Amino acid sequence: MLKVKNLFLKKGDFVLHKLSFEIKENSYFVLLGQTGSGKTMLLESIAGLQSIEGDIYFNGKDITNLPPEKRNFGFVYQNFLLFPNMNVKDNITYSAKFKKIKDKDELFDDLVDFLHIKNILQRDIKHLSGGEKQRVAIARAIYSRPRLLLLDEPLSAVDPTFRNSIMKSLKDLIKRYNITILHVTHNFREASFLADRVAVMIDGEILQMGGAYEVLNEPKNIKVARFLGFKNVFPTSILGFNQKDKFFTVDPNRIKFGDEKKEDLYCFACKIENVLGISDHYKIFARVGDEVFFCKVHESVFDGKILKEGDETNIYIDKKDVTFI
Amino acid sequence: MKDRGFLLVFIFLSSILVLFLTVPLIKLFLSVGFPNIFQTMQDKEVYDSIFLTLKSAFYAVVFVCITGIPLAYIIARYDFWGKSMFEAILDIPVMVPHTAAGIALLIAFSNGYFDFIDTTTGIVSAMMFLSAPFLINGAKEGFKKVDVRYEYVARTLGANRFRVFFSIALPNARNDLINGALMMWSRGLGEFGAVVIIAYHPMVAPVLIYDRFNNFGLKYSAPVAADMILVSVCIFLAIRFVNNRVKQ
Repeated sequence: MLKVKNLFLKKGDFVLHKLSFEIKENSYFVLLGQTGSGKTMLLESIAGLQSIEGDIYFNGKDITNLPPEKRNFGFVYQNFLLFPNMNVKDNITYSAKFKKIKDKDELFDDLVDFLHIKNILQRDIKHLSGGEKQRVAIARAIYSRPRLLLLDEPLSAVDPTFRNSIMKSLKDLIKRYNITILHVTHNFREASFLADRVAVMIDGEILQMGGAYEVLNEPKNIKVARFLGFKNVFPTSILGFNQKDKFFTVDPNRIKFGDEKKEDLYCFACKIENVLGISDHYKIFARVGDEVFFCKVHESVFDGKILKEGDETNIYIDKKDVTFI
Repeated sequence: MKDRGFLLVFIFLSSILVLFLTVPLIKLFLSVGFPNIFQTMQDKEVYDSIFLTLKSAFYAVVFVCITGIPLAYIIARYDFWGKSMFEAILDIPVMVPHTAAGIALLIAFSNGYFDFIDTTTGIVSAMMFLSAPFLINGAKEGFKKVDVRYEYVARTLGANRFRVFFSIALPNARNDLINGALMMWSRGLGEFGAVVIIAYHPMVAPVLIYDRFNNFGLKYSAPVAADMILVSVCIFLAIRFVNNRVKQ
């Protein structure tokens, strides 16, 4: 449906390095990236708001030079940007002044009902909460009947208590309004809940792309692993491999302490550097040579071991729990 | 206690300036007296002159609204080579002596192609030349305050550049535009130096005040000055009142 080919853009310090990707119709595509990695600029490029090199195709048609008002892509910015000179209703129906909207009255009523905004329609946008602004911004974008909805960190300015319900609403938008969503965020929990497919973008480059489970659990790149919050990322030389620039990672919950030695276990002598008690578990930092493993041990398992700072013991990891990067 | 001392010092210093700015005006009205002010207003020469001043300043504002607002928008929204220099050039009219500006306008436009000397066109040109930067700068600051992404969103909703300008940029920069227009208009009302070079006749109010002062003295010029100030302040307050009501 949307095909981006070798998209290049340089603006000030930001560079998008020849990005290529595809988004299928009626799918939820999440672009993950740190703040300042160029995510918003990419969305603006797709919307036609930035001059780019490269090509953008939509349903097989080259739209690279099509102005934004002709692309029919909805855009919701991080801080929602509701027009200050209009009330809620006028914001939502703004697009009706410029284009013919199919079944606009039914659509308006449905949006108002679905997004629970009936009681704020006449309100000045100055008097809306973050969550209300977000729902109005989504209603405004959907009301224009876009073919693709571009969401720029739509949950970051919303109270955390409402995030789950809003995420569910976002997911429901696809079927209910027959649209495709490209959502950019730095929050990989959002990605894991919402995405059909995920791309990870760091410093203007897409480093990994694929199914949500695959990307979020099997990073192919050390930068991606670190960005996704993988804690124990170490060179494979620790495991006895000779390959340079190869890394592995292991879940802190999968690391055990003790003297068990089996063929299917990696076992290392370690020295305990720090032990932190956190409600029902302990965080332990164990040094193995030049590296420090971060381990999470449940209270019930830990109690019998009586580990403390300076102790020398062994850590062992099941080979199936090791993910190679 | 410390706050009180701080406030007292600041209020005292502010009062000196406020008194300096208001006493001459109050004194003018008191010395002329309101019966005299209203009687002078009925003098046809005074009435015509004040009306001409208001009308010319208004024409100047309208012309700069049509041409200067697009200019201000370009400056606010785009970066281009020599932009700072260009902005400095636009501010030059504020810095030059007004009589010098009048001479420059005379040399540039009194070429026989259109009536310039001793005409309303000449008066409007003089007012416009010296006061346009007030509107342009006001509009520029107003547009800068409107996040460009509002316009981006509007475009994704189907509005073209012109419609975005009129439905988003202009309404959201309205306060600064009105302030800029009022500043330009009031600056135009008081224009004397350049106008007197280009058009002694028909007489705008500042020229009439000068003329009466020169030929008949303070007693005859003061009521005209009071009339001009009264009319300007009334219009100024009325526009501000209407703008505030619309804003609410």
